[in-house]
Amino acid sequence: MNKKIFLVPVILFFLLISIFFYLLLIDRDPSELPSMLINKKAPQFKAESLFDEQTIISNTEFGEEIVLVNFFATWCLPCRAEHQFIKKLSNKPGIKLIGINYKDKNEITKKWLNEMGNPYSKVGVDKNGSIAIDWGLYGIPETYVVDKNGIVQYKYIGPITKKTYKQFYSQIKKLKK
Amino acid sequence: MKKIKLYNYLIGLFLIGATTFSLSVEPEEFMKDPKKELRAREISKNIRCVVCQNQSIDDSSAQLAKDLRLLIRQKIREGNTDKQIYNFLTERYGDFILLNPPLKTSTIFLWLFPFGLFVIGFFIILKHHKKSNIN
Amino acid sequence: MINIVGNTSLYLALLLATFQTFSLFKTEKKFIKRYKFFVFGSLIFSSIAFFSLMYGYFVSDFTILNVFKNSHSSKPLIYKIAATWGNHEGSMLLWILVLSIFNFLIFKLCNKKNLNYVYKSLQIQGFIIFGFMLFIILTSNPFQNMKSLQSEGLGFNPILQDPALAIHPPFLYIGYVGFSAAFSLAIATLISQTKITDVPWHQYIKTFVMIAWTFLTIGIALGSIWAYYELGWGGWWFWDPVENASFMPWLLGTALIHSLMIVEKTKSLQIWVLLLSILTFLLSVIGTFLVRSGILTSVHTFALDPSRGIYILTFMAILGGYAFILFFKKSKYFFSEKYFIFLSKEGSILFNNFLMVIVCATVFLGTVYPLIIEAILDDKISVGEPYFNKTIIPMTIPAILLMGIAPIFSWKKDTLKRIIRISSPKIIATIILTLSFLYFYKFINFMGIIGIFLAFWIMSNNFLNLIFKAKGYSKETVLAHFGVGLLILGIAGSSVWQEEKVARMNVKDKMKIKNYTIIFNEINEIKGQNYVAIQGNFLVNNKKNKITNLKPEKRLYPVTNIVTTEAAIHTSLARDLYIVLGDGNSNDGWIIRFYINPLVIWIWIGVMFMFAGGLLSIKKNLNKRKNA
Repeated sequence: MNKKIFLVPVILFFLLISIFFYLLLIDRDPSELPSMLINKKAPQFKAESLFDEQTIISNTEFGEEIVLVNFFATWCLPCRAEHQFIKKLSNKPGIKLIGINYKDKNEITKKWLNEMGNPYSKVGVDKNGSIAIDWGLYGIPETYVVDKNGIVQYKYIGPITKKTYKQFYSQIKKLKK
Repeated sequence: MKKIKLYNYLIGLFLIGATTFSLSVEPEEFMKDPKKELRAREISKNIRCVVCQNQSIDDSSAQLAKDLRLLIRQKIREGNTDKQIYNFLTERYGDFILLNPPLKTSTIFLWLFPFGLFVIGFFIILKHHKKSNIN
Repeated sequence: MINIVGNTSLYLALLLATFQTFSLFKTEKKFIKRYKFFVFGSLIFSSIAFFSLMYGYFVSDFTILNVFKNSHSSKPLIYKIAATWGNHEGSMLLWILVLSIFNFLIFKLCNKKNLNYVYKSLQIQGFIIFGFMLFIILTSNPFQNMKSLQSEGLGFNPILQDPALAIHPPFLYIGYVGFSAAFSLAIATLISQTKITDVPWHQYIKTFVMIAWTFLTIGIALGSIWAYYELGWGGWWFWDPVENASFMPWLLGTALIHSLMIVEKTKSLQIWVLLLSILTFLLSVIGTFLVRSGILTSVHTFALDPSRGIYILTFMAILGGYAFILFFKKSKYFFSEKYFIFLSKEGSILFNNFLMVIVCATVFLGTVYPLIIEAILDDKISVGEPYFNKTIIPMTIPAILLMGIAPIFSWKKDTLKRIIRISSPKIIATIILTLSFLYFYKFINFMGIIGIFLAFWIMSNNFLNLIFKAKGYSKETVLAHFGVGLLILGIAGSSVWQEEKVARMNVKDKMKIKNYTIIFNEINEIKGQNYVAIQGNFLVNNKKNKITNLKPEKRLYPVTNIVTTEAAIHTSLARDLYIVLGDGNSNDGWIIRFYINPLVIWIWIGVMFMFAGGLLSIKKNLNKRKNA
């Protein structure tokens, strides 16, 4: 019997331990999923506009300046919490904000935006969640950053908060160049 | 970059927002053609609920799971093949959404392992067996 | 007060474990006296720590951080007590308690004339206790003072308030943690190069493996029983990482039980048994790591804390590294040039071992593969039920076929002629039973037929062997193997032939499925001890008469604001009728799910048989040892 064969479990064992150590030590969230859209053209969609009779067609919206696509709903508390930061972003130059109203009621959303202020240049309506699926959405709120060439560069999951706003904005600023 | 843990805000979502809390497929989702419905169920059992802890969309009560179940039925109605439906989903959510790991370069080892081990082990046992003839 | 008692006990237990591990052997008399002290002390202080936490739950002492986080005064008493081990820190105290119990058993059961061997074993077991005790004190101490006094606790997940789940951890841990004794004994054997003729180490290992395996079997089953009765869609196994973590030691434990038989009879395969003893417990530790480190997400995982993961991983590296290197160096002393004939008891046991190991390796790979791919390729993939079903089920088929007849194979060599002669009546019996079953049930399904055939194959063999008093076949084995047959019957029936009907129903509506009619009688609001619920009342009839009233519920537990669904189940030997109340209201109606799960009860009955076989085997083993 070849003695060296018993070395195999030893080596495998230490390899496995190393992998586990690596995964523990890097900054990693096991429940987080990477976006499939990064570095790809923003998904095409057609959505009924919330405020007027128009239809928003996506390819007219992307390709000129930086666009933030923010999925939100009135029934979503974290969306309400992040709204002030969305407004802040809307005041920054060179950024266009498009809101996608996810599974909501038009009248209620209009009221909500009137009350809280409307930071979006356009609001599209996604009644059944199909636009969300096209963007690989897990839940709301989520914000996608699309660069000047219409390529998705970044996906932000969850509400933007006081702690995260600064870093998020600096990520966007990088794309302005 | 600090990212909010996915399940934290989702739990918040469910507790305050989502009022429909079904436990897997609802009667209105069922397709009229039982064969097509069975196909939909089979595909669903293979799709992971990406916002749950370890369930298929067929088992899950999450809103996204329901949306994907409806989407799959819609696609079947439109005449898509199983492969087209899987591709549609992986284009948007990645291979992570497949509970049956797809056969690609990174998973060849995974799929060959059980069979390979069987063959190797079998040969080892055979080695021990043959020599008994000498005894 | 409890915090002080608890913490003191923890530190004392740590101290004793340190001494137990690092004490030098001086004289026989001193050894026995000293180690008696260590072993008893360890057990006493681990018990005090564990039971004082339990007392804290019993009286709802919210000055204890752990009790505050996981309990509420409105909880039923039994669940307050079960909450002791229903959280990470408390369950680690259970780990330590079981380690200490087995520590004590090693001391008690091993013959003191093999003093050096006992000493080495206790050193290793002591080191394991030391490691886990340090883990608790450094990262998972339940006895922490609440900074501000709270009048009420944070409650507890209502999904976990279930009788099966309440007793699942103690049984599971006796199994899971009990394999530590086999590990320690194996390491001691390797260190001292103990000859089997000098010290019957294989008998010691066998005692502990039998105890651990028996309780692990029932522990896993209790988890599945909980899942089936509580989760609401008739499933009982999900290939979840934590389930896999308990299944792997079970597989290797089964392999161990069988290969120990060969060591007993022929003194060969010693290296293999030593390796298995090491691997089984290491898998328990790896499982603990996967569950508690936060490296995976799973419905079962406890709270996430990287320092815990790093500690367990380091301890695992030390323990495993030491064990493997020791094994590598010393295995040559246990080598024996024995060869086996395939058609013999040894050959078939080897084949069983071979398959158990492959299944275990596959489960392991499937569980950790996503992590490996993520680390190496930065890609996220999933390995779910389809993978495990496709790879494992085909492999179990030859194992089960062999399992039917192999117990009556002769040792050393058997002939094909004899085997065919003996198995013919059983093959006939199996075919008859399978055909009768299919005639009765009338559903033709390929996998189902295979499952039923295998189940009846096992049952016929064992039953006929028992009746005709076949040799070389103990009652315990018959009992346990027959149980496996029942288990397979239940699994086949419930997976392959499950029927489901979902409909939206209003009160007074009817639903028809197979020959059952379900009438929605009424819907009520009811109050439980710590919940409020909506309860549906359904009358279930078959063509002839009334079967039962089923009352599924949707419960709201105000303390944690969680909604649970409680399925209503009517059980018979032939099938479970399973009804779930979904969402809805009086206007739109309610979503009602009705399942027919054939033969489910046989899964649990089968496991009971296996458990009984195991218990009898333990009893027999301990009696033998007493008289030896």
